[in-house]
Order: sequence, then structure tokens, then C-alpha cells
Amino acid sequence: MKKFLIKGLVVMLIIVMLVGCGEDTANSSNSESAKGDGAVESKEKVELTFMINHATDLGITVAIQEAIDDFEKENKNIEVELVSGVADYEAVMKTRMGANDLPDLWATHGWSVARYSEYLRPLNDQEWANKVNSGITNVITNDDGELFVLPVDMDLSGIVYNVDVIEAAGVDVNTINTWDEFLDACQLIKDAGYTPIHMGGKDYWTVANFFDWVAPSFYITDENDNDIETLLGGDFDWNNWSEACDLMMVLDERGFLNKDKLSSTYTDSAKNLAMGKVGFEFYGNYVIGEALRYNADANLSFMPVPSDSKNDEKTLISGERNAFGVWKDTEHEEEALLLLQYLARPDVMTSIASASALPAGLKGVESDTGNLASAYAEYSSLRGFNYFDRAFLPSGMWETMESTSTGLLAGEMTVQEVCDKMKTDYLRLIQQ
Amino acid sequence: MKSNNFVKLLLTLVASLISFIPFYITINVAFKPMTDMSSRWLLPKELYLGNFVTAIEKANIFGAMKNSLIITLFSVLIIVFVGAMAAYPLARIRNKFNRSVLNLILAIMMVPPLSILVPLYSNLSKMGGISTYWGIIIIISTFQLPLSIFIYTNFIISIPRTIDEAAMIDGCTDFQIYYKIILPLLKPVTATVIILTGVAAWNDYQFSLFFLQDPKMRTVTLAISSFFSQSSSNLNAAAAAALMAIVPVVIIYIMLQKYFVKGMIDSAIK
Amino acid sequence: MKEIKRKKFRHNHMSTNLMYVPAILLFFLFVIYPMLTGIKISFTNWNGFSQTYKYVGFENYIAMFKDKNVWSSFSNTIIYGVGSTIFQQIAGLSTALLINSKFKGRTIGRTIIYMPVLIAAVIMGNMWYFILQYDGGALNDILILIGKEPVDWLTQGNLTVWIIVLVNTLQFYGISMVIYLAGLQGIPQMYYEAADIDGAKKLSKFFNITVPLLMPAISTSVVLNLIGGLKLFDVVKALTNGGPGYSTHSLSTLVNFTYFNNQSAGYASVIGLLLFTFIIIVSLVAQKFFKSKEVDL
Repeated sequence: MKKFLIKGLVVMLIIVMLVGCGEDTANSSNSESAKGDGAVESKEKVELTFMINHATDLGITVAIQEAIDDFEKENKNIEVELVSGVADYEAVMKTRMGANDLPDLWATHGWSVARYSEYLRPLNDQEWANKVNSGITNVITNDDGELFVLPVDMDLSGIVYNVDVIEAAGVDVNTINTWDEFLDACQLIKDAGYTPIHMGGKDYWTVANFFDWVAPSFYITDENDNDIETLLGGDFDWNNWSEACDLMMVLDERGFLNKDKLSSTYTDSAKNLAMGKVGFEFYGNYVIGEALRYNADANLSFMPVPSDSKNDEKTLISGERNAFGVWKDTEHEEEALLLLQYLARPDVMTSIASASALPAGLKGVESDTGNLASAYAEYSSLRGFNYFDRAFLPSGMWETMESTSTGLLAGEMTVQEVCDKMKTDYLRLIQQ
Repeated sequence: MKSNNFVKLLLTLVASLISFIPFYITINVAFKPMTDMSSRWLLPKELYLGNFVTAIEKANIFGAMKNSLIITLFSVLIIVFVGAMAAYPLARIRNKFNRSVLNLILAIMMVPPLSILVPLYSNLSKMGGISTYWGIIIIISTFQLPLSIFIYTNFIISIPRTIDEAAMIDGCTDFQIYYKIILPLLKPVTATVIILTGVAAWNDYQFSLFFLQDPKMRTVTLAISSFFSQSSSNLNAAAAAALMAIVPVVIIYIMLQKYFVKGMIDSAIK
Repeated sequence: MKEIKRKKFRHNHMSTNLMYVPAILLFFLFVIYPMLTGIKISFTNWNGFSQTYKYVGFENYIAMFKDKNVWSSFSNTIIYGVGSTIFQQIAGLSTALLINSKFKGRTIGRTIIYMPVLIAAVIMGNMWYFILQYDGGALNDILILIGKEPVDWLTQGNLTVWIIVLVNTLQFYGISMVIYLAGLQGIPQMYYEAADIDGAKKLSKFFNITVPLLMPAISTSVVLNLIGGLKLFDVVKALTNGGPGYSTHSLSTLVNFTYFNNQSAGYASVIGLLLFTFIIIVSLVAQKFFKSKEVDL
């Protein structure tokens, strides 16, 4: 037994040393080149940890890393560790918040106000703070006017569609102004042999996202007849939520949704879009970037969200996408803010926003949105409305939307039960 | 007899094939580029190596294997030695108190990790154990110890007490009896414990995800999972990473298996 | 005679029991103490990440008893636990009996059958997802090939629950096989030889010699598989995420879902306690059952 153990240990140690040596030399040569040569540092070395919710192999991760490398060259006393590829980012962030042990900076992926604001340092005093793109100022500012993140890009989208599929089915997106016209278009697509709409229902957020996309058209967008005041005031009649529910039920009943709507994932949605099997999808334009990874030649674009009635107009949906905040208890506040200021520089932000092919988060900053540029230009005059749950519902309702919408789609809940559950949680959460 | 052996071979083949299917698909996916969306049953038209490059460069799969190796090795050492040591009194002194202790230890196996996650994270963070080898090793060891103690206790019970008594006549203390006589007898079951708990340690995800925040400390399961996020996934790279990670595990398993079988035969003859 | 021997050669309780103190210390620090905090949380409305929360007394406990999703998950959990265990014993014992005899290819077979165990469940679960998914899944590809309609295997309610049991079995039955192999090799050949002399048939040898002498192996394997099956998490999460709706949730995945997705850490804590208590009861019962069946050599 002893002999085996010793032999085994020796073998293991050798392996460890070999692998370890390889890894260490790679590391040290990297850090040396990042620091650059020359000037002796007089300031003390500061290490920042910057967590983002993207995988390691994505274009945006690479773009952010490049920006950080340049930042480190300018600020030789600051070393930034970009942490990407965090499996289950949200669960990790929630656990760290619970233990009050957070990184210096992190990405808030749409939740800066509703979830993370308790732990973020308000950034109103930053010089870029008043340059935030008006499309998302509302969603990243809380009721007290506090702003918590630097948005490097923003989500400005409608309904994503595959141009080739639409054309093959004989649909002209310019004629789709109301939900009725949208339903007609779906029928054409179905008759042509494609799936009109794909939903990745195993990922619950996709079904809730559908509601976030369609709800404004029923309750918000009509200037003459909307529920903005009642929603914000606490006395919205939740029986009206059936309008949004009915739309989804109609889509389902007419067979416009993919058969595996409850067991496929967001990734499957992106794939099907790329493979030209699907007409429409209810996601932000970020799904286009993901689809292009599967098929760089896919012909994809987006159109505004239809309105509910002929008296109203079609609209766009806007919201926070890639935005970064600073931990309010960080030990290196000065340096963290420096990094944000660096990322706020127009040329730097342009390269990051372009990597995600979304409009930039600050006013006057360019972004290369590729094939979508013409669409953005075409729809620039349309009104944009923020993610419904974040703009008009109390914090915590997104989770209710997730469970009720999937429950409805799965046939486990009736429309009335959904309305009742939304009402119950709404009243409970609006008190907090 | 020949036809009997043939039937056995056939049955084994069927069982092996079924177990192998997920691996076959993983191999296919690993050698195809992301843009190849052909059926998963079809072999790749050509062996695309880009995913392996991605796994090495982006997920640092070799570094992850080193981390997993270190963590598993030291966890297993603790699990075997602390576990066997703890099993000795629980097996030999079977009074009410010790029986309750044993039940308490078994109960540890049944605690759902999520229920204690945040307090555990908080404690470990205050101790400075997040993203350290010792932190994750202690956590993994603690949660695998009950299994080790359970197996060792059952096994020691089946060792006749006369052996202990013979040593007591010679004037050994209890610890000496354990260390010099009982421990060597535990070889066959130790191989079982190593295989079961070692694999659990190597494959740990639930604890590593939260307690290894530093990317340099990531283990194999985290490296593979790094290709999945809420808004993107790269199954092909993940498959390549998974394949590379399986190799050392299978090799060590085969090595230990031979020893395990030998140990079984030795104790059976005895 | 025995009495006198015991008195003379008693183990020194105090000093010998010290040998399990290091283990107990670890458990207190890293399991029991955090668990007490977890129990405290069950009386609050904590959302899992805020620094503030309110005490709500037994509200969560009462809500849990009324929650039909908890009880459907509970019954799923029983199926996952008992179903997996039964299948794993059958698969494990049969393959162990098969592999125990000498024939060409047994070593490779033993290795391949054990290989799924060597892969992390979270990864294996994902691999099976790509086999079982509706659109482009390997299984449906075969169905389409033979001219049948593809099936959405993961949304079939009860059938899906059993499919999950099957995947879990395939993932882990190698462990049972290994335990039974060890047990089988511990049975002295002379028993079989004596039975042969008496003219015993194969089946009779199996039930009268093999099974009783395998009892320790059976009890170990059953208890381990039961606990693992009742705690089932990774496979369910990877295949269905508990859905559609709540139809395939195990108590473990429900705890995870309630904690992270529903942001109700307090409520999740209570469900976790329910699961914990249930597993303890089941394993105690199982152990008592097997103790009574053990045969002395």
C-alpha cells in the first residue's frame, strides 16, 4: 500500500510540476507584456476584479479585454482581471451579494436598478453621467434619480426576423402595423413551410420576454388610452392582463409557435434563426449576434413591435444591455472609476459596442451595427419603450412573469389564474 | 461453453454501446465546427481541431486539469485517512453514543448543499478561503467524508475482533492497532473509496462554482461550463474540453481498477 | 468466556473516540453551523441577496404544505429515488454477474460501463439533452429515419420523469456494478461447490447463496443509490430544468429554482429542510430493513 502510494504521489507530483510550469511561464510572460517596459512604478500596485456575464470566446469579451489591456498600458499601477466565462453568473452574483463579498466592478445585464442597486455606488458625479443615451436613461435610473452603471451599449429592438424566410413567404414587414397584420404574416410563413415563431421555453426568461415585448402595445404605447398611471400608482386592473395572454394563446392555438416551445432553449432559437427555419423571434437584437456564430451568412434584421389598434403606431423596445457598475464597498474606488471613465471614451466604447453590434450607451458615440444599421436608421423616428417589467412593474415581478407565462404556455395555468397571480404579487411587491 | 461466452460477450457489447452513446456524440460534436449543424450521429467530414484550440486558449483546460488534479488528490488523501480513522472507533465501539454519532455523520450526506450555500460562502470568505486550494479541498472533503466513513465502518465491522484482541495482548494502543493492523487490511475497500469519492471530487460543480471565483483556479467542470452563458453557448468547444478532461480520469481509473481487482482477490483468498 | 474476554480487552473509549473528532469538527464548522443559519432563514422572507429581510414566523412552512408544486415535486422525488435505485440494482447486479465470469472483453466492458460515472453529472445531463431534444436530437433523428414522427421527449409529464430516471440509471449504475463485483468476489467459491455437490440448480444457488451473502453489498448500494436518487439535481436541471411548468421538478431542483429564480431564499430553505428530513427517514428505514436481513458468515 505504502509503495503504491509513494509511486502514485511521485507520478502525480511530476505531472503537476510539468503542467504547472507550463502554465506559470505563460502567465508571467503575459503579465510582463501587459505592463509594458520602462518607467518604474512609484504608486502602489492596485488589482481590480471585473466580472462580466459573457463566455470567454465571445467577440465582446475579446473587445473588453483589449480595452482593458490598453487601459493598463496607460495606468501602469493598475492591473485589471477580467473574469468571464462564469457558469451561472446570476446565481454566483446573488450568492456573493448575500455574503456581501463582491468584485470591484461587474456587469449588471439589465438589472442595475432592480437587483444590484443596493450594492452599487451611484455614479451621477461622473463626467459621462449626463451623456447617457436618452433611450435608456429611465431604466438605469432609480426613483431617486440615482444612476448606477455605465452603459456601453443598449438594447434597441423589436421583433427579430430572418429576411430570407420572410421574403420566401411573401411577407412585407413594412405592412405589419398591428397584431392582426402580424397574425396574417405568420399564417403566410406557416403556409410556406417555415415555423413562424420560435420560443426557447426551457429557458423561462424567453417566454417572459415575449410578454415584456408585447405588453407595451396593450398598456403603454397608446397616448390616448394607456394604463401608465394605474400601473405606477398601484391600481392597475389585472384582468386586463388577459389581452397579452390571449395574444400568446392565439399564436399557440394557430400553430405559429415551434412544437418544442417548452423544451427548446434560447440557443436553439438562435440556431433556428441562423438555419433559416424560423420567421420571427421575440428577443432583442443580441440574438442576431449569437445566430451569426452558427451561420455568418444568415440574413437577419428586426422590425418594430406592432400596435394593438389602428389608432396607434408600431414601436421599439429599449433597455439596458451591457452595463458596468462599481461595488459601493470596494477598496479601490478611485481606480475602478478610472476604468469606467476609460470605457466611456468614445473610441473605446465604439469598439465594445460594435463587438456586440448594438447602439452605444452614451450619446454621440458611434457603433458599427453591421447589417442592422439601415434598420436602425429607418426606425429612428419611432418611439421606444423600456422593458415593461422594469419600467412599469415593481421589482420582483419579472420572476412572477417567468412562472406565470411558462405556466400558461404549458397549460398548467388558465388566463384567469395568471391574471390573479400577477395581481397578488404586484400588490405585495409594490408595498416593499 | 463457447456459445455461453459468446452470449456474454454480446450482452456486454450491448450494455457498453448504450453507455458509450453520449461519448460518441460528444466526440462527434468536438470535431465539428460550430457552423456544422448536421445530425449528431454523422461523423465529422473532416477532423476540425479548432474547438480543442479554443478549449486550451479560452478555457485554459490544461490549467483546469492541474487544478482538478491537485484538489482531487488532496481531498482524497483527507477523505481516506480522516475517514478510515474516524470509522475505527465507530466500528469497534458500538454503544448508543457512537451509534448516534454515526447517524449524524450519515445525515451530513443528505444536506442539500444549496440550503447552506450563502452561510458557507460567507464563513469561508471571512476565513479567506475563497479561490484557494485549501478552501475548496476542505469543503469537498467534508462533504465526501460521510460516504468514506460509512463504507469504512461497514468494512471494519466485518473484520473479526480477534485480530484487534491479538494486538491488544501484544500491548498495542488502539491507535497503533488501527494504524499498523487494520489500515493495511482496508486496501480493497480503500480503492473503492478512492474511486467513488475521487470521482465526486474531480467532478464537483456545485461547490467549485461558488468557491473558486478566480479564473486561474477553475477546475475542469468549470472550464467546460465556461462555454455556456445565458446569452450564448459553444457546445463544440465544451465537448472538446470535456473530452480532454476525460482522458486522465479514465487512465487513472484503469490503473486503479487493476489494483482494486488484485486487492479483492487477495482478501478473498485470505 | 466471552464476557471475560471483553472486559479484559476493551477499547479505551475516550482516547479511541478521539479518532473521529477531526471529522466531527469539520462537520460542525462547515455543515452544522451553516445549517443552523439556514434554519433561521426559513423563518424570513429573505430574497437570497439583499442585506435586509423580515421575519415572517411560520408563514413559509404553512405555504409549503399548501403548495401543490411542492407535493408534485415530492412525488417526483420519490420516483427519482426509488425508481433509479430499483433500476440501478437490476442493471448493476446483472452486469456484475455478467462481468464476474471470465470471457474476452470483460475488462473493456467493465471500463466502458463505468465511464459515465467518471463524467460530471452536469455535463452528462447536457449530453443526454442533445440526444433527447425534439429538434435535432439524436433520438428523434433515428425516429425520422425510420419514418416515424419525432416526439418531444422532455415535455411528456410522467413519461419524462421516467426518462429522467432512465438517464440517471445509465449515468450511475456503474457504481452499483462495482459494489456488486466486490461483493461477488467476496463470496467463497466453496459454498457454490458444496451446493453443486448437492445438485442445486442455478436459480436456487443464486437465491440461497449469492443474495444472502451479498446483503452488505446490496444494502450499501441501495442506500447510496437512494440518497443520490432522492437528491437528484444535475440530470433534471440539464434535461428539463424542472419543466414544463413544474412537472418534472425534484425537491432539489425546486429548492434551487425557488432560491434563485423565484428569489425566495426563506421558502427554499423550508423545502430544503423537508427534503433533508425525508432522506434521513428513508435511509434510516432502509438501513433497519437491511440490518435484519444480514447473514453472518
